[in-house]
Amino acid sequence: MGQQIKYLFITALLILIQTQAMRLLSLEGMTPDILTIWVVYIAIRHGHPTGTIWGFIIGLAFDLVTGNFIGLSALTKTICGFIAGYFYNENKEVIILRSYRFIVIVLSVSFIQNVVYFLIFTQGTNIGMTRAIFEFGLVTTLYTAIISLIPMFIFSRKTSR
Amino acid sequence: MQRLLQIFVIFKEYVILTLLIAISLILLFNNDTPQIRAIRSYTVGFVGLMQDMLSLVPNVIELKRENEVLRALNVNLTDEVSRLREARLENLRLRGMLEMKPHNEYKVLPAEVVGKSLHLLRNTLTINAGESDGVKADMPIISDEGLVGKIIVVSGHYAVVQMVINKDFRSSAKVQRSRVDGILTWDGGDVLHLRNVAKKQDVKTGDVVTTSEYSNIFPADIKIGVVSNVTEQTGTLFKDIDIIPSVDFASLEEVFIVTALPDTERTSVERRATVGK
Repeated sequence: MGQQIKYLFITALLILIQTQAMRLLSLEGMTPDILTIWVVYIAIRHGHPTGTIWGFIIGLAFDLVTGNFIGLSALTKTICGFIAGYFYNENKEVIILRSYRFIVIVLSVSFIQNVVYFLIFTQGTNIGMTRAIFEFGLVTTLYTAIISLIPMFIFSRKTSR
Repeated sequence: MQRLLQIFVIFKEYVILTLLIAISLILLFNNDTPQIRAIRSYTVGFVGLMQDMLSLVPNVIELKRENEVLRALNVNLTDEVSRLREARLENLRLRGMLEMKPHNEYKVLPAEVVGKSLHLLRNTLTINAGESDGVKADMPIISDEGLVGKIIVVSGHYAVVQMVINKDFRSSAKVQRSRVDGILTWDGGDVLHLRNVAKKQDVKTGDVVTTSEYSNIFPADIKIGVVSNVTEQTGTLFKDIDIIPSVDFASLEEVFIVTALPDTERTSVERRATVGK
């Protein structure tokens, strides 16, 4: 229970950072998605069901806070948590979180999430889906993967003590 | 029942995934229901309050710079107001001579930007004015530089603005010089687009684009931007027109709500005509 409250608190803080501070790191309007990194982290630490449920909670909270399409981020983050759950290994979670593997997982999960996102997002618009995925999705994916180096280094330092 | 429970335990990951995806899809397809709108209204109120509290932290350097800019602007505006008064009187005189209907004058309500959500293609602002100030959905938002967007969600004291740089935004617009009209859209770049303008129409780089009389939401003649590029692609009937927006969306801090709602009589007659087709 204590851990769930801790996760809720971190989620609220990260949503605040994502909506208020991430635009300071904006490159041509693209911002890294720190919530995806958080969902991947939870899924690697706790596995499929927890990752999927937290993905849904985080996505739904983000939809509500941004006032955007309610359900879109909930859907993509649920899928994100589920896919990241495949990399859960009780005995190797620390090794994964402190190595390049974490970056690779974030990269691949983020890309799949962006494909699903733009598949729905571009419906009924003039924006081509392929263009959206490669122009916006790929840049966001790469940017998110680069930012995920920060938690990886923090975790690496924390566990090497 | 026992068997069902066993199946659930074995496939719980997939059951949870399916359930949560189903909930997400239900929410996605019911975005415009009154219940979802009410939830959004409550969250906008809560988030707006949080953002308002955060914006209380003063930025002294920014305030000093803003003060200087405002003083300079004040001098220019005082001069412009006196010239506009003259022009208005002249305009009224000439309109009276021609017996033309005057333009609708609209009232504006100032509001501060307390939050920005620059999330890929759906950019929104949160402002500190809501239902208690008479703000309603679909009211246009402008700044001293031009058109900013329109209200999409309102709570008691806050409202969310769909910016012009939002892929869901549409408005009719016209080229001020040649009166050519089209549909204003944005698809993610640095520029806006004026669509549905036939190749034979007269549009040049440097032309000013404003809102048009055809819009039932936005008052006419609000500046949108300047044409930066006009191309004619083969295989289409229309021009490809890029517009640089006149508003600097990244530095928006104060906006004005135009307290005018769509003309219901006009909407009704247009809808009847569409249904009758």
